[in-house]
Amino acid sequence: MKKAKINRKWAIFLSLAVCLIIMYICTVTGVASISFADANRILLHEILHLDMDLKGISEGSITIIRNVRLPRVALGFLAGASLAVCGAGFQGIFKNPMADPFVLGVSSGAALGAAIGIVLHFDSGFLGMSGTTLPAFAGAFLTIMLVYNISKVGKKVPVSTLLLSGIAMSQTLSAAMSILMIMNQQSMDQIMFWTMGSLNGKGWSQIVTALPYCVVGLIILFTASRELDIMLTGEDAAIQLGVNVEFLKKKVLFASTVITAAVISVTGIIGFVGLVVPHVVRMIAGPKHRVLMPLSLVFGGTFLIICDTVARSIAVWEIPVGIITSLCGGPFFIYLLGRMKRGGEL
Amino acid sequence: MGAEILEFHHVAAGYGEREILKDVTMSVREGEFAGLIGSNGTGKSTLIKCISGLLPLKRGNISICGRENTSLKSRERARMVAVVPQSYHVEYDFTVEDIVMMGRNPYLSFRKKEGQEDYDIVEEAMKATNTEIFRDRYYNELSGGERQRVILARAIAQKPRIILLDEPTSALDVHHQIEVMELITKLNQDENMTVLAVLHDINMASRFCKRMIMLQDGAVSVDGTPREVINRKNMESLYQMKLMIRENPLFHKPEMIPIRVMEEEKAAVSKRIHVIGGAAGAVRLIEELDARGYRITAGVLNEGSEDWKICRELGISCVEIEPFTPVTEEKQQENLKLMADADLILVADVPFGVSNIENLHGLETVSGSIYFHKNALSNDYTDGELVYQLEKLEKTKKIRYIGDNDEFLNILKDLGE
Repeated sequence: MKKAKINRKWAIFLSLAVCLIIMYICTVTGVASISFADANRILLHEILHLDMDLKGISEGSITIIRNVRLPRVALGFLAGASLAVCGAGFQGIFKNPMADPFVLGVSSGAALGAAIGIVLHFDSGFLGMSGTTLPAFAGAFLTIMLVYNISKVGKKVPVSTLLLSGIAMSQTLSAAMSILMIMNQQSMDQIMFWTMGSLNGKGWSQIVTALPYCVVGLIILFTASRELDIMLTGEDAAIQLGVNVEFLKKKVLFASTVITAAVISVTGIIGFVGLVVPHVVRMIAGPKHRVLMPLSLVFGGTFLIICDTVARSIAVWEIPVGIITSLCGGPFFIYLLGRMKRGGEL
Repeated sequence: MGAEILEFHHVAAGYGEREILKDVTMSVREGEFAGLIGSNGTGKSTLIKCISGLLPLKRGNISICGRENTSLKSRERARMVAVVPQSYHVEYDFTVEDIVMMGRNPYLSFRKKEGQEDYDIVEEAMKATNTEIFRDRYYNELSGGERQRVILARAIAQKPRIILLDEPTSALDVHHQIEVMELITKLNQDENMTVLAVLHDINMASRFCKRMIMLQDGAVSVDGTPREVINRKNMESLYQMKLMIRENPLFHKPEMIPIRVMEEEKAAVSKRIHVIGGAAGAVRLIEELDARGYRITAGVLNEGSEDWKICRELGISCVEIEPFTPVTEEKQQENLKLMADADLILVADVPFGVSNIENLHGLETVSGSIYFHKNALSNDYTDGELVYQLEKLEKTKKIRYIGDNDEFLNILKDLGE
């Protein structure tokens, strides 16, 4: 057991180190021509507050690093990490590898909210949220509350009804959004772009908006790790081992919804991170949430940063990162299904 | 025996509209090893679910260690009651040690992590169940017997006062069945753990349980020691079939032998048949003839022999002698009297020796036709006397030799038509 603990710490440390390196590489690369040396100097100045000689570096370059690339990498990490941990939590309570917050309609709810915000030209801000953010957050949150209450049977919320009502709600909300788009064709492009999910043009203010929700939610999820392990061995067994299953479900649902709503209300819909990342981590490190959740956090963050770097570097024009994640995630999922069909385990 | 640790007062429970448990009132005392028996669908597993908080009651109440079950938090309940299910499948790659450590969950929280004490308890539980040798293997790669031991270890790690078992051996082979039952017995004796086990196998229950509780129609119908519960009346009403109860000579516990569920086709003509037996070779035949509606008598049977036992069970009149005593002339006269009105006389598969060869004396006087099981000739310890007697008999009467019991049953069928 002592050995396993050391392994766990090493694994997290190692992946964090790799993540930092990738973050660094992604910050210094980009479309704007800033030399490698200059980029390093700006970074040292900005992050470590070293007294670097920034003479000869254009103000533009400094702004790009400070206000474009750095926040973008940070937001990428925050979004990817948060979505991946939510996915791990959801797959735990549902005992289902296909589960993530999006399955319950969070994304459709957020999208409809954002679409309403765009159509009605919301400008006023509230609690640091503005424009599309607040309605998206509200949409996501209300959707889950609705799905949860629809699924309630007595005092319990069976997983199967939760998934079914989530899917039904998701479809309904998507249809509502489509109607909204058709009735407001002038806003169609904007809504479309929002649903594709992007880190483009996002800065420190978005991070400040989402961060507190994510931190609180993630802490709640991390405290549930032992009970989530037991949930994986069956709901009945969990009750018999003293887990308050219904409370755990509520806790994970609530925390994940807050996190996911906060993230996608600033970035738009970024799919598949929550599905794929916990899967990969489970294949590498096993199903124990004490390892799974922190590693999912690091892997998820890193994955999204890489996807975003690809999104902004691959073509002359910027591709929304949600498309890149889905492009990676879809085929990966098909590969997983293939493994399962051949008798392997997920 | 300790105080009452598990009490049921007029418990009713079920799924949806359907009530499976209707009115269960009983109690289990601390340190008891009680077996819960009943046919399929009588609510044995439902009762376990009610105790472990998986199923709410419709009426009545259950109290555990003096506390009302509904007032217990699942953590509190899990410290008092551990459950070992029928078979337990885990789809994810948890090691054996991970699974056993889950038993410590009711003592941990997000503030209190696993400490040295918990590791010690897990270690102890694995040692007690012989699972420490594969502690690092994945649970889902183990065999059924190994898995059941791991789940038992997890239950032990819960440090409960009561352990509930829901058909713990039904998926196991005989070796592992006995192993698991022995482990549970050890827990019961060494740790004074109260055990309530749902058992399908009556003979397993008889052997290991001190007390048996029989559920029927959603209520307790019989409750007592195995000897009080396992008798023909109770078992036939429970299983709705023909069966036999006998004493298991090894464990001195009653043992049930199931015989048949479907009624045998009744013979068209009810012949009178007398069976000459005395060992164990005629048991099946006697039972089957009886089931088909033939009127049977038998003799001369040694008390305690299998042939004698089945006659006693089925209420067949027979001539009997004490064990290991020779058949006297007097007894043979009784025997001949019994077979006087028989249509057929069967000399069953019985070993002949000096003490029972008397059975064949005077057969030439009876009116019924004589059938002789050939196998008896292979077990001839009379030093030629048997062959001599048969030859003598054949001078006056025809003897029909049969190869096995089925041949005899077929002959009877043909005779009836």
